[in-house]
Amino acid sequence: MNPGDNKEFIRKIRLALGYRSQGGRTFSGVFPDGRAEESVELIRRIKNRGPDERQWLLARLIEEAKALNMMVVPVKDAQSAAKQIAKVAQEKETEWGGPKRVIAWEHPLIERMKLNRELQKKGIPLDFTIPGPAGMGTDMVRERVIASYIGVTSAEFCVASSATLVMKTRPGQPRSVSLVPTIHMAVIEQDQIIADLRELYALLKWDPYHKEEGLTNCMTFITGPSKTGDIELILIHGAHGPKELYLYVITG
Amino acid sequence: MSEIRTEYYRDGARKAQQDPVLQSALAAAQSRIGGATAKAYMDFPEGPGLRLLGHDIRMKAIENLDILLETLVENIQKKGGHVHFAKDGREATEYCKEIALSRGVRRVVKGKSMVTEEIGLNSALMEEGIKVTETDLGEFIVQLAGEHPSHIIAPAVHKTRREIGKLFSEKLGIPYTTDPPTLTQAARKALREEFLSADMGISGCNLACAETGHITTVSNEGNIRMATTLPKIHVVFMGMERIVARLEDHDILLRLLATGAAAQKMAVYVSYIGGPRTPGQQDGPEEFHLIILDNGRSRILADEEFREILCCIRCAACLNVCPVYGKIGGHAYGHTYCGPIGAVLTPLLVGVNRAKDLCMGETLCGACQAACPVNIDIPRMLLSLRAKLADGDPQWSVTRSSLMEKAFYMAWAGMVRDRRMYELALRAVSGAQKLLPRREGWVHRLPPPFHGWSIHRDMKPVSGKSFIRRWSETHGRRGEGGNEPR
Ligand code: SF4
Repeated sequence: MNPGDNKEFIRKIRLALGYRSQGGRTFSGVFPDGRAEESVELIRRIKNRGPDERQWLLARLIEEAKALNMMVVPVKDAQSAAKQIAKVAQEKETEWGGPKRVIAWEHPLIERMKLNRELQKKGIPLDFTIPGPAGMGTDMVRERVIASYIGVTSAEFCVASSATLVMKTRPGQPRSVSLVPTIHMAVIEQDQIIADLRELYALLKWDPYHKEEGLTNCMTFITGPSKTGDIELILIHGAHGPKELYLYVITG
Repeated sequence: MSEIRTEYYRDGARKAQQDPVLQSALAAAQSRIGGATAKAYMDFPEGPGLRLLGHDIRMKAIENLDILLETLVENIQKKGGHVHFAKDGREATEYCKEIALSRGVRRVVKGKSMVTEEIGLNSALMEEGIKVTETDLGEFIVQLAGEHPSHIIAPAVHKTRREIGKLFSEKLGIPYTTDPPTLTQAARKALREEFLSADMGISGCNLACAETGHITTVSNEGNIRMATTLPKIHVVFMGMERIVARLEDHDILLRLLATGAAAQKMAVYVSYIGGPRTPGQQDGPEEFHLIILDNGRSRILADEEFREILCCIRCAACLNVCPVYGKIGGHAYGHTYCGPIGAVLTPLLVGVNRAKDLCMGETLCGACQAACPVNIDIPRMLLSLRAKLADGDPQWSVTRSSLMEKAFYMAWAGMVRDRRMYELALRAVSGAQKLLPRREGWVHRLPPPFHGWSIHRDMKPVSGKSFIRRWSETHGRRGEGGNEPR
């Protein structure tokens, strides 16, 4: 609170390390950006990936996800994803009672799906987390994610080697949609699948778009549905977060 | 657990070994997780050598901690977060209390955090009439039972499903069951209500990233995401050493952490949190406070012998392979950190003399270092602590733990340097030992002050002849036997 305290704290660390002052050390001097050129090259390769390699990555992702009880469903276009989601929505029951309700991110890909139409056929209402004064505010988002049994989001990337979805928090894309409802469904396009964490960190740091935006104030990696082993090491899904996780990959 | 019970290590260890439930729980936990980790290290695309790289990254961060913290603070403040440095546990809890009281906080939900255990945060908040709920399932069980965690990442490993069933039926009012899914669902329901009604969420920090200005939280259950998303205020407690410089360091360390902790490729949830909700965002806390804690760490940092222990990323891999932890469990260690990491860290935090049994109790087998995802040389530091206990050390205010032992070893050192004295002593001992009780030819009990050595083992009787003498009898004198090495 008191900036003087902070100085004193840092000074104590310096002394412990045997320095009287910064000692000519600067952040970027001591810790130069690692892998800059290598990362740019890697990103170029990712963007130019051929169809065979993309297919292989999808297969890898499906395999990795299986071990985590995460469902990866390839679909040929956005509308098919919506149909699939509506089908699951019809089959599943709500966890906490009350009528069925679905909440989805305001996102171009989800918009393209025409999810509303498919869900309407099943009589299930859908809310979009539209930002801005005309859309949903914090209280409304909170109330609706609590009332919904399915949350639909997209993601920035999906890492094949560990089946990890990467999401940023933005207006229109609140983080609670992937957390509070009982079932989380994510929709991505196949070219959002990347090979491994190395590629992910390269993209997050060096891809011009992400470099400009930063990680946002909350970036989350999601690898499978929530789980616990705290009772006699027995694996159970749905400790606090979603019990089920579906990922629809639009292959085009 | 701010209460320090390290003096009762022996008692605790004895009791633990007589507890069959605990023994089988520990054996199961170690065999399930311990072995899998070693195999998982082999599967890194970079090979098991990644551990060494992880060590270097951590060590370099520790050696430039001042710069990293300054950078982190600057970046977090830019995003509207508040940062507070606390020199000890009291300052940290006071700060948190002040935020809570000034905002009228009544209910707090917590994600698992060892550092808040270390400073006894829960009881400090509860004294103010604030309800504090641990939300990690294991921690929740332990809190309901009025106990303390016994493992860094599996806090309720010592409890059986029957005990948990009984506990839940008493405290949560559900019908008695031993079915883990039903029990988990009951906790899910009870805790969901807590998450939705809490005014403040408290989490720890796994590893901050200075470059971007984020803390990270890691969990499989999703409780930390709930606690850091739903309440209006998020308070983070971070040990000052839990930081690395660059985003690319996280690529390596997060993989090491997930592998060391549970042989996973990745934990279910990893979040990078860098400040409060920004304009236009529709969820997340309105306030973000980061409390960075020293509490004895700068003293460890100042000593090059022990600095390395600050590289620890609290994955608990060392617990899962330690033969001592596997027998005595976590509670015997008498403070927040248990197992090999605790055996080094606790004495340095609470006083070496006070916690001397912790470092004496470990076997120096080296399993911890081999399992450690950042290859921390725990055995070396255990030995250093023992050396301090043997010789005393004013810098750490260590007094000699046993004058008698020291005197004995000095006498021994003098004796073995003198051939004649040694031969004489051997003969004297071999004569005297005839009076000692034997079992199948082995000495069964030694007289005081040496009796400690024979409590759990029989000893071979001392030979009346020295090795040199015997050698010359069987192989002849120097030069005669033709077996001279040269
Ligand atoms: S010492 Fe190593 S193995 Fe033990 S908790 Fe720390 S990082 Fe994990």
